[in-house]
Amino acid sequence: MQMWIQILLRAASLFFVTLFLIRLMGKRNISQITSFSFVSYIVIAVLAALISSNVITNLAYGFIALGTWTLFPIALDYLSIKSKLIHDFINGKEMVLIKHGKIMEESLLQARLTGEDLLRELRSNNAFSLADVEFAVMETTGDINVFLKSDKKPVTAHDLGQKVAPMTEPQTVILDGNVLNEPLAALGLNKEWLRIQLENTGVSLDNVFIGQVDSSGDLYLDLFDDSVELPQPKVKEMIYANIEQSQASLMTFALETKDENAKAMYLEDSEKLKQLMEKLKPYLLR
Amino acid sequence: MTVASQVKQTLAGLKGVQGTLRIYSTQTQNDETKNVFKEALEVTDNIVNDLEKRVQVLEFQEPQYKGN
Repeated sequence: MQMWIQILLRAASLFFVTLFLIRLMGKRNISQITSFSFVSYIVIAVLAALISSNVITNLAYGFIALGTWTLFPIALDYLSIKSKLIHDFINGKEMVLIKHGKIMEESLLQARLTGEDLLRELRSNNAFSLADVEFAVMETTGDINVFLKSDKKPVTAHDLGQKVAPMTEPQTVILDGNVLNEPLAALGLNKEWLRIQLENTGVSLDNVFIGQVDSSGDLYLDLFDDSVELPQPKVKEMIYANIEQSQASLMTFALETKDENAKAMYLEDSEKLKQLMEKLKPYLLR
Repeated sequence: MTVASQVKQTLAGLKGVQGTLRIYSTQTQNDETKNVFKEALEVTDNIVNDLEKRVQVLEFQEPQYKGN
């Protein structure tokens, strides 16, 4: 057999074998693996290159080496899932770099980090001032994660004591002018509903690039034709405004009427509406 | 505008609100939100009933404005 055919065949078969082996080894992102897994990936790559370019002439030997370097990491991964001890032995343990706002210099030395490196990592975590950091840890993958002091953390609705309506993820129902049936069905809606919504906004389906439905069933559209100004769904704000208006009218009626019974009724109803507004506010306005 | 027609206007506004609330209560996926909308529907139902009764009384008192 001619040399070039041999190499072509080897390279082609190894291409797919290596693809398969790497898929076997898992889905973890290359930036999130430990240094040792990185080494095993490199060994696999080098072996594949050597076998396919005929440097390792004996195919069987080459595949044995390749198989070993694939199976061992997989086996170790399984063992480390089963046992914490093995996990810590293979992956190492996370290292605390800043505790109670104070830098642990020994840990820094162990992690081979300079002060400069630490500051850079903190900055990439949006902590520009060391004074803001309560706790920082170096993960086994080498990433540094930062826990800010509680007064420096971003404000959440919980901090404000504000009730917010629960929201689930929006579903994309139109893409490139095509209706996606599966997400529509997941929302319990159908094509007919979508057709009516589009008709109400006065847009044709082919003009829609992306259409998303949020958890309350409002449709947001992005059109191919950007010169068309679409009214954004403001229905909820409208209901709230209407309720507010009704409540105000009830108050006026209560003031104007001479009938004591009617007055009491109006007052009671307007109070009910007021309470309802409080209750609906998170759902309609936020 | 007579009192009766003002009350009727408010009544119509509330009924509109109810319609939209009903749509949202069926469209919403989240159960908690659904319940809040349903509760709102009940409250507005009560008020609508009250107002309807009041409109009857008003029309009885001022029959000349009936239908306005």
